[in-house]
Amino acid sequence: MKNGPLFLIGLFIALVLSWAGLVLGSHVQFGALTPYYDDTEGASFPSRSSGIAARGQFVYADLGCAACHTQQVRRPDFGSDQARGWGERQSVARDYIFQSRPQLGASRLGPDLTNLAGRKPSAPDAEDLMKLLYAGSGLHPAYKFLFDEREIVGQRSDKALTLSGKLAPPAGREIVATERAQSLVAYLLSLNNGYDYPESRPLPKPAAGGHGGTTAKHGETKMPEGKK
Amino acid sequence: MINAPTNGASAEVTAVDTTARWPLLFLIGSGIVWLLVSGVLALITSIQLHSPQFMADCSWLTHGRAVAERETAFVYGWAANAGIAIALWVLARLGGSPLRGTNWLFIGTLFWNLGVAIGLVGIATGDMTTFAFLQLPAYVQPLMLFSYGAMAVAGVLAWSGRRADGTYAAQWYAVAALFLFPWLFSAAQVVLLWAPVRGTVQAVAAGWFAQGAWTLWLAPLALAGAYYVVPKVSGRALRSYDFASLGFWTLITVGAWSGGRHLIGGPVPAWVATMAVASCSLLVGHYLIVFLNLRGAVGAGGTALNFITFGLVAYTLGGLLDSITAFREIALQTQFTLVSSAQQELALHGALSMMLFGTIYYMVPRLTDRPWASAGFIGAHRWLATGGVLLLVLALAIGGWMQGADLLAPKTSFAAIHGHLKLPLLAVTAAYGLLLAGNILLLVNFLRSACVGGSTTVTVTPFRQPLNMEATAP
Repeated sequence: MKNGPLFLIGLFIALVLSWAGLVLGSHVQFGALTPYYDDTEGASFPSRSSGIAARGQFVYADLGCAACHTQQVRRPDFGSDQARGWGERQSVARDYIFQSRPQLGASRLGPDLTNLAGRKPSAPDAEDLMKLLYAGSGLHPAYKFLFDEREIVGQRSDKALTLSGKLAPPAGREIVATERAQSLVAYLLSLNNGYDYPESRPLPKPAAGGHGGTTAKHGETKMPEGKK
Repeated sequence: MINAPTNGASAEVTAVDTTARWPLLFLIGSGIVWLLVSGVLALITSIQLHSPQFMADCSWLTHGRAVAERETAFVYGWAANAGIAIALWVLARLGGSPLRGTNWLFIGTLFWNLGVAIGLVGIATGDMTTFAFLQLPAYVQPLMLFSYGAMAVAGVLAWSGRRADGTYAAQWYAVAALFLFPWLFSAAQVVLLWAPVRGTVQAVAAGWFAQGAWTLWLAPLALAGAYYVVPKVSGRALRSYDFASLGFWTLITVGAWSGGRHLIGGPVPAWVATMAVASCSLLVGHYLIVFLNLRGAVGAGGTALNFITFGLVAYTLGGLLDSITAFREIALQTQFTLVSSAQQELALHGALSMMLFGTIYYMVPRLTDRPWASAGFIGAHRWLATGGVLLLVLALAIGGWMQGADLLAPKTSFAAIHGHLKLPLLAVTAAYGLLLAGNILLLVNFLRSACVGGSTTVTVTPFRQPLNMEATAP
């Protein structure tokens, strides 16, 4: 390796190849996925999230929620995601096309949140989430800085939390969710990947001797080959 | 020559060292300070895992942000500063001429550290990017790139102006790390921040950057130091040196392809994860060759080599574990658990930090022309670091394996999982405490050696050609 320039060119080519293969290759393959139009429903999926939910995703990102929560469901025969009620199907690339910064996450110290609003048998409602965010729990930190404590002037705010016991504010005062807390909760309640895309359905099982468990073994995400 | 450093090797201080003294000590010192910042944050985040309300009311230290701050302080604060100092020193010494461009280096270091500080405040106030190893807010990233460029000027001059004919493995790794990082960093910025790709392509790009930052930047920085120090201290040529270039090019060409390592079963095409399995398997070749080359360090004794030996074993073991957990059957249980944290900490604290420590313990007496202020501190640091890393990695790995088994059993609630994790997580906190204590000793010892003390008059001896000491190849 006496030739300096050749050495540097070699380094550069190695880096460019990996970039082109992984990043550019992925971009070409599924960087331009379009929503899927369903004739029978007369609508396309996924739908864009509302403004407040889209803002809520930024709150989710800036608080680093992804440090403990994933937003990716693995396919039913790979792990217990389905059995835990996190989703009936695997997450596919198309689920994320309208998210400006998908929060896939890499740690499950807390539950997966992909389908929080569509959770079976019962999904949390806004009040549950507000209380969890304000008070925390033995497993979840509190985010008191997302709430304001203030004096009740005239009527009680409709954004005020209903709290009891130790958490209740002193008489004449109320705990109100800030705009950030409201958009975060709106975002969490918008998380629902209920729609079944063609590529998220398991491959048809072989007719003979198909006892399940082997389908789509290595196909995490089948790229769509048109409508089936 | 005034006196010998504590590790017993002869102190051959040269013009290379005296000209580079203050810029390089500045880099190392800032690195150690950030290491302590990262250590305090690690302590906080680890307490939060078993007592979630700890510091929760403080928005700057809420768990998600503190995790990002810890990682950033470690990678951009500690590893970058210390690694660049080592790479530049190795290039200057093996190039055979004093470091040039030290003004640029000084300015670059100043702004780099300013960038890290601004970045940490930015993360604390909610501007993190959420991409692993790239958490610095978008607005400081151009500053980081420019200040890196200023620091690298010295490396470019040392490489292009080298007097010696041949090159050594230590130089390859140093040049690769210095040269590749700006490309890696700017390419990641473009596709993730300035013109973001859509949807989960971002996850692939972020994985490419995170693996690239480890295999093309951080690991080569550590290896540059190890490949330089091991033959110097042991006084023997590197073993099986003929394989070194194969090991080097395997890492460089294959490393970043393992970007899909954490996307197994995720919402990306299956080939991304398959590519990671293939490249992690190929990288085993690199890890084995590095072990073969540097095995002379094992049992050779001496401060520097004790640290490097630990780092070498951790590096090889970490590589083997990466290749095992890349397989889907294993990832089924280990993915999304503390096992991933165990692997990361084995790489960062076990391999990277330990090799950097070893090189720093060898390098600083030659820069200051004084032995380390306290041999006792070095010994204590060694035992605290060794014990800390062992406890940390074992606790995370055992806890993570249990957590994975629990997660696979759908009936086990999260309350039960956290109940099982209580003990391992307490051990993790203790381990971070040990590491922090050891690193405080390092800082005190460093400050005493670098700033306090007697006369600073230095005798410059002529530069000694290192040819006979480096390698079998000319």
